Amino acid sequence: MDRRTFFVKSIGASALAGSYLAFGKPHELLASVAPAAGPAPFDLVAVRGGEPDVMFQKGIEALGGIGAFVKKGQKVVIKPNVGWDVLPERGGNTNPKLITEIIKQCLSVGAKEVYVFDHTCDSWQRCYKNSGIEAAVKDAGGKMAPGHTENYYHEVSVPKGKVLKTAKEHELVLEADVFINVPILKHHGSARITASLKNLMGNVWDRGFWHGSDLHQCIADFGTYRKPTLNVVDAYYVMKRNGPRGVSVEDVVTMKAQLLSTDMVAIDTAAVKLYGADPKDIRHIQIAAEQGVGRSDLENLNIKRITV
Amino acid sequence: MQSLKKIRVVVASVVFVLAAVVFLDFTGHVPTTLTTFLGSLQLVPSVAKLFTGLTVASFGLLFVVLLTIAFGRVYCSTICPLGTLQDIVIRISGRMRRRRWYQHKAAPVAIHYALLGASLITVIAGSMALVDLLEPFSNFGRILTNLGDPILVSGNNAVAYLFGRLGIFGLYHMPLLHMQTIAVLLTVLFLGLLIYLSYKHGRLFCNLLCPAGALLSIVSRISFFKIAIVEERCTDCGFCEMVCKANCIDAESKKIDFNACVGCYNCIEACPTVALKFEGFPKRREISRPTPVDAPRRAFFGVVIAGASTMLLPRQIEGNASAPKILSYDDSRRMPVTPPGSRNQNRFSNLCTACHLCVSVCPSQVLSPSLFEYGFAGIMQPRMNYTAAYCNYDCVLCTQVCPSGALLPLDVAAKKEVQLGRANFIKDDCIVITKKKDCGACSEHCPTKAVKMVPYEGKLMLPELNNDICVGCGACEHACPTTPRKAIYVVANSVHQKAKKPQVQKLENPLESQKDFPF
Repeated sequence: MDRRTFFVKSIGASALAGSYLAFGKPHELLASVAPAAGPAPFDLVAVRGGEPDVMFQKGIEALGGIGAFVKKGQKVVIKPNVGWDVLPERGGNTNPKLITEIIKQCLSVGAKEVYVFDHTCDSWQRCYKNSGIEAAVKDAGGKMAPGHTENYYHEVSVPKGKVLKTAKEHELVLEADVFINVPILKHHGSARITASLKNLMGNVWDRGFWHGSDLHQCIADFGTYRKPTLNVVDAYYVMKRNGPRGVSVEDVVTMKAQLLSTDMVAIDTAAVKLYGADPKDIRHIQIAAEQGVGRSDLENLNIKRITV
Repeated sequence: MQSLKKIRVVVASVVFVLAAVVFLDFTGHVPTTLTTFLGSLQLVPSVAKLFTGLTVASFGLLFVVLLTIAFGRVYCSTICPLGTLQDIVIRISGRMRRRRWYQHKAAPVAIHYALLGASLITVIAGSMALVDLLEPFSNFGRILTNLGDPILVSGNNAVAYLFGRLGIFGLYHMPLLHMQTIAVLLTVLFLGLLIYLSYKHGRLFCNLLCPAGALLSIVSRISFFKIAIVEERCTDCGFCEMVCKANCIDAESKKIDFNACVGCYNCIEACPTVALKFEGFPKRREISRPTPVDAPRRAFFGVVIAGASTMLLPRQIEGNASAPKILSYDDSRRMPVTPPGSRNQNRFSNLCTACHLCVSVCPSQVLSPSLFEYGFAGIMQPRMNYTAAYCNYDCVLCTQVCPSGALLPLDVAAKKEVQLGRANFIKDDCIVITKKKDCGACSEHCPTKAVKMVPYEGKLMLPELNNDICVGCGACEHACPTTPRKAIYVVANSVHQKAKKPQVQKLENPLESQKDFPF
């Protein structure tokens, strides 16, 4: 190799290395194109009568198994609701048993790593601990990640947003191949009801802007930003009043239900009916449907109903 | 006896490291028992805590007093972390300038005791300011909380950032919500003075400014065992004087001013002929011969004892028990909310030594050092800063660690019935009124639903207050998105009130029976 070819080759090699550093890991580039999944057999799966883990097993089976959503070597991020420093039976946070089961299933089909986080409202370390989520994640072999300071969030644009044009999204979600949204269904003083659309508010840093600039519109706007790979609505314990934090266990009913869908509008519409309210009264779901986030016409959807 | 110094160094190092860990830990892994144990041994906070009755801290105080009666100011070189901090500076300065020997100097007893007297008088007059500014444990706490913590957290954040890039989240980024510029500056000033004094003059701080040093120096007058020079063995080499950082050994006259001795035992170790040792009670008179200095000293001693005894008189710690004043809209925002367990502002301000232990353990970092919010009398005492965060409903950590009794221990159930302040809602500033849009951030965060949402103009929901069940945690104020001023905020109760328990009713029509799918 003469000097000239040596230089040319080294420049080529460093350019390659540079682009690797600049664009990240190659598999992520591929993954962002589209996870190859066949047509989902059902638009929505509803399960009742079992424990959270059992209901998930039945539900995901109906959707073609976890393998339809998670491929070997992928990075999975799960976003439960861990907003409050309350115990699981208070129905303030997603059921830890459900989180354990989802992580185990993801790892069983070869997920490279499974992260779980939330931008909590109460003191984050207390929320992670007392919700039971942190222990559940560790048990299952996942990683509990922090989300309590601004530096974990990076600005993204929301091109279809009407009021919310930009938001600071958690870096884990930005880097994820698979994003699983796992809210708990409950009453909510401001949003009326919280399920999958509202749960994504915990993905962002600047929530004060949402509250101060038409909350329902912002929730719907953020729904247009990224469609989760899968949504699982935990309706095992359901808080019927004093939400989203609740005051006591008396606010909670044991419903033993679970919903699974890739469509946030469809799953939230069904969740509201399960809760016992009229989806037409929940403005952010209506706006999200109008903005094309998903479908609210449950009567035209292919729904699988399972009783355990 | 030659190994006394080594024992001292080991004990001091252990206490220093533990105290530093207690203040710097942000992971919540340090057991509260360790924190309370270390706090109970700290002289000034434990003396303050006597006013709240007999506690574990009283045993700590008793131990310190008995230790001093037995062996003098052992405290200053082992239990006091600020003493060890000075020793570290002295150690480093000795290395930077070789052959920096100490020389005997008469301790500035008059100024030292005068400062102690002045501290006592200001305490009786109702201000902890002088004690707070001079007290060693609190200064140590403020150095770690206001300077050490930011440095540690910045380093942690840098490493956490790098690890985070690699997908490792065992280390996490920490915010610094309790940082207050003025408190940092005052701490820098004090640390500068401390470094200057220890670099130039050894342990002069302990014999000039320190109220704990002054108190212990008085107690050490009756110590059973005192360090003395055995004249028959002494070869007049003068090593003992050269290594005495308290400047209390006069090698020429072979006299030791034991009241100024901080118990470092450098002299015992340095003596080549083993001529320095603890002498027992019977030889006491022989050793400390009256000198001309002793007459004014005794007079001062009398004044201080008189002053100290007034501390034992019942003091109105509980303060003014009248109902909270009604304040105007703007005044009310200036009144600081005192932490849980403080009971009322006067009581809190009369007992808090501003050690910032509560600030450093608070998981939500709602506690911040004040400047003059309590007046000059309460300089740097902590307050609830609802701009930074809000008080976690189920957390009682601050009340459990307070070493001075300014915050009395509360269990979770008791804390939930304490009302630190009451929410005030300015409807005209609320998003729901000004923008005709739903918001509800305040009600969301409220742990008791003292702020609940009620129907307003059709389908909107507007906050409504029930202050009977408000605990004054500041969640509503913190969450409120209105600018430049919050539409809902907490007005301090200068005397904490009892919050009623939230009403709990059984739910009607539970859905448990509904087994099918409503879609």
